[in-house]
Amino acid sequence: MKPEFYTVDELVIVCLARTIKENDVVFNGVASALPFTAMALAKQTHAPNSVFLGGLQGAVNPRFPFLPPVSVDYTFSIECDLTIPAEEIFNLANSGNIDRIFFGGAQIDKYGNANNSIIGDTTAVKVKLPGGAGACSISCVAKHFTLWNTRHFASESARKRGNFTFMDKVDFITTVGHKTPAGTRREMNLKGGGPDAVVTDMGVFDFEESSGVMRLCSVHSYTSLDMIKACTAFDLLVSDNCHQTVPPSRDEVALIREIDPLNIRKRLFAAEQLAAQMKFGD
Amino acid sequence: MTINTNSDKLYSLIDAVSLIDDGAKIVVGGVLTAREPSAIVREIIRAGKRGLHVIAGAHGYAIDLMCAGDVVGICENSFAGYEFDLGLALNYRRACEQGQVVIKETDCNILLQQFRATQFGVPFLPMPKLGGSDLLTLHPEFLASKCPYTGADLTLVPAIKPDVAIIHAHCADKRGNVKIFGPVFKDKLLAIIADKVIVSVEKVISEEEMRRLEPTIPYYHTSAIVPLPFGAHPTACYPDYAYDRKHLQEFVTFSQSAETVKQYLEKYIYQSMNNEQYLELIGGQEKISFLKSWNQDTSQWMEVFK
Repeated sequence: MKPEFYTVDELVIVCLARTIKENDVVFNGVASALPFTAMALAKQTHAPNSVFLGGLQGAVNPRFPFLPPVSVDYTFSIECDLTIPAEEIFNLANSGNIDRIFFGGAQIDKYGNANNSIIGDTTAVKVKLPGGAGACSISCVAKHFTLWNTRHFASESARKRGNFTFMDKVDFITTVGHKTPAGTRREMNLKGGGPDAVVTDMGVFDFEESSGVMRLCSVHSYTSLDMIKACTAFDLLVSDNCHQTVPPSRDEVALIREIDPLNIRKRLFAAEQLAAQMKFGD
Repeated sequence: MTINTNSDKLYSLIDAVSLIDDGAKIVVGGVLTAREPSAIVREIIRAGKRGLHVIAGAHGYAIDLMCAGDVVGICENSFAGYEFDLGLALNYRRACEQGQVVIKETDCNILLQQFRATQFGVPFLPMPKLGGSDLLTLHPEFLASKCPYTGADLTLVPAIKPDVAIIHAHCADKRGNVKIFGPVFKDKLLAIIADKVIVSVEKVISEEEMRRLEPTIPYYHTSAIVPLPFGAHPTACYPDYAYDRKHLQEFVTFSQSAETVKQYLEKYIYQSMNNEQYLELIGGQEKISFLKSWNQDTSQWMEVFK
């Protein structure tokens, strides 16, 4: 049955999938609900020859019967090309052979630095986040990475309190973007290319080449440029050809619902965001 | 890394855990909700170990429970949580935020390189240049250096030599050969590099059958084998059983405060003196049948995650 509408979770997954190119070697370790769905979608649509390295079980091209809510489960290894030891995945990363990986973050700054570790100060920890898993090192060595976040939208009261996910300065840099207090990636001689896309519940961003600063490329249909500006703590750079985000196709959304019949993807979004049912472009 | 050729390594859980000293550097097998050495962790808490230096990659229950049981002094781990399933590891979080444990957050890939240095018998290994991450400031032992051959920038990381590894596996023979079915994660490497290697298993099998299966971990790397069916519970040990989401949910609910989590410890650890008692407490035969039923068909498997 062809879907009648799509929702924000499905739009975000399609935007994540669009950052995967044909023949890319793509890895994701933990917190994988959206990345794994996007990786499976890309393989079934525009990037059939991409290499899907699924989680710390080292499942190569997993064909899972359904997406579970956890990143390591037999659902990923029961039907895949093979499983490789975790060390082989990290070997691929260190040797510069991971084309893309996905990183989230509780806080993200304009250079694409992300905090997965500590809110507050290391000497006065306010919130201990779960941790970056392999984000510190792999953000330094992977060819590219996609940042994602499903809490870009900030309510009016959150905005008044100055409570933003996209901040001028993150409390702790776990995942390395284009520029940190220690210098630019070039100055630090990092081999990886850094983040080249940011997908949020509000829009899609790339990074300006000269400054390494995040730049808005497209705005999701149910929100606006002004609202994105209001929900972002730093001055927003907007691309000259910023447009409305191209909606997913009916086939893409049907595939997403097939990949994730338990609707795990929806757990990452606020109920009011999921309530908006959007029409297809066709 | 210690070689152990004892011909009989079958231990009781209590005797095996008594091999662990307070303050030991301990590495933990399994990953996230998969094959964590949960029963060994429960005995570590029951035995009242203190100040353990836990070194681990991405985990959930094992690390969270150790923090709840107040056995951890230093937490050198890369990720602790239940992802988009059950959220944050609240005991781990509390222990870090209240300064009960020293936060030495690390990175899966770096950790692996430090383990491999021990495996390869060298004091450190180089990595491609790392920089810009505040995580590196938690590790002054990581050093910036240059390749003596090409001049390329490198980051050097020192070998980690764990005192103890705790692992849950499918089967072992009494000499200590261990077989793991499905993904091995870092478990083989952990067994190679740790001085003492404690492995709980679903089943002890004959040496003849082990030779036929071809062991994953050779006997000379292990110290103690503990027969403990369902020893990974509430994490999964496929194909034998799936994870127990309802139990984990109960644990997370009890974990809302330092006071309430004591009730969980009381019920499932202090009052549960042996494995049979524990299995009764978690729901007995009915629960066991449910956790084994994942392979009936896809719709039954999906029930596990609801």
